[in-house]
Amino acid sequence: MTEIIVVTSGKGGVGKTTTSASLACGLARRGKKVAVIDFDIGLRNLDLIMGCERRVVYDFVNVIQGECTLRQALIKDKRLDTLYVLAASQTRDKEALSSEGVRRVFDELTADGFDFIVADSPAGIEKGAHLAMYFADRAVVVVNPEVSSVRDSDRILGLLSSKTLRAEQNNGQVKEHLLLTRYSPKRVATGEMMSVGDVKEILGLDVVGVVPESADVLAASNAGIPVILNEDSDVSRAYEDAVARLLGETVPLRFVDEPKRGFFARMFGG
Amino acid sequence: MGALPVDCRSSASPKPILKMTGHLMNKPADASPREHAVEIRFGQAGLVQLRLHTTDPGSILDELTGRTATAPHFFERTAVCLDLSLLAKPPEVEEIRAVIEIVRRAGMLSVGFAQGGASVEALAIELDLPVFTHIRAPNKPLPVVQAAPAPEPALPALMQHQPVRSGQRVYARNRDLIVTATVAAGAEVMADGCVHIYGPLRGRVMAGVHGDTEARVFCQAFNAELVSIAGVFRVFETIPADLAGVPVQAWLAGEDLRLAKIGE
Repeated sequence: MTEIIVVTSGKGGVGKTTTSASLACGLARRGKKVAVIDFDIGLRNLDLIMGCERRVVYDFVNVIQGECTLRQALIKDKRLDTLYVLAASQTRDKEALSSEGVRRVFDELTADGFDFIVADSPAGIEKGAHLAMYFADRAVVVVNPEVSSVRDSDRILGLLSSKTLRAEQNNGQVKEHLLLTRYSPKRVATGEMMSVGDVKEILGLDVVGVVPESADVLAASNAGIPVILNEDSDVSRAYEDAVARLLGETVPLRFVDEPKRGFFARMFGG
Repeated sequence: MGALPVDCRSSASPKPILKMTGHLMNKPADASPREHAVEIRFGQAGLVQLRLHTTDPGSILDELTGRTATAPHFFERTAVCLDLSLLAKPPEVEEIRAVIEIVRRAGMLSVGFAQGGASVEALAIELDLPVFTHIRAPNKPLPVVQAAPAPEPALPALMQHQPVRSGQRVYARNRDLIVTATVAAGAEVMADGCVHIYGPLRGRVMAGVHGDTEARVFCQAFNAELVSIAGVFRVFETIPADLAGVPVQAWLAGEDLRLAKIGE
């Protein structure tokens, strides 16, 4: 049984692609067969984050338009055996996607025995974002703890409950998860940033993960290594927890409180 | 219940365009100045009464589109009854045919005429439309009852158990609306009857959107962006401290929109 997870947000720059890459890696590291697909046609990024940009020959649009087979376009990850990347086209626009084509690719991946398809949605609510969510079984809504991101996420949640195949066929709801990124407990404590509680209350959903704000994310992106693979980072642990929760495990929330500074640190400003 | 007159003057007052009720009920209809092309009145059974001041298609269309643009879906395919009583002279069949077409272009559907004597009867026969005797022009003798429209059955309330998200809109036509979840900022919930919200209300709420001044809004945790009853509305840039987050009801007292904490 293949599960389609869309990673979406409405707003741009909140961490959809970082999240898609890390969740896909985390699932693959647990032995799941995973395909991660970049739906941001024309603004291809996932290949960079995954570090496979120089191995892209064929892309998602080529497959949809029948110019190559799916097998030719899937890029096997060098680090994890069961992880595959399907890159977006950089030279086309989102009109090149078709609902029929996306369905065909998903059907083929299902027939190939994939456990998870992670769809990395573009920002916005137009065609690319619509098709990324349309066939989804689950949605990870990435949200930053600030008002505009929260409102856009609310809009996306509304679309998930009305403009998806499951909603149209009355086939149960798309299972929705909230993932907070760029969370800074320190700024929450000073009242500059919305807290996990605030966001949960406004959106009425439980969080599947809280990823702390960290310089490790930028470093990992630039290096082409999904940040979850940087074992020294809190960000990696936070994504690992989110993967565990997606798979149904119960894991306590970490990185939501300001770290207590020890006596010496306080004395010497360490 | 008499028809509720609705003012469609747009320029005279600095009040926002959503404000629709300018007159009290039962005020003489001829209080409206003549410079208007038409007047929209909400009658019984969801029938909108359109009182023509002219048969000039251009000015009617201008006024109607101006009015419907403020709330397009309230008027979408709404049944309209034409009232010819204020026209200076009995109109020609072709003039009325043009008016019907213009009304249709504004999104509404003409379904008949208000009672208005022999000339209206003749027009109705010519155009194959009914005459509604319930809706009659003012200061005319009570007409003989001909064909009363069947009363609209009262529908059960529309239930909304899912959160109403930003950008979503829920409208309960001809009935009450009950929401058991959150109404988010940027969402809109509306009903021809009352609106009840048992989750936090952070968006816009409109009750009595077809002119029912008795409609009310009830909510569990008030944080609305806008509250409107029968077109009289109030925008909340800041929530009054005594109402924020507590159960609140809103109702119309004459032309005043009142809000109060429930249970006080």
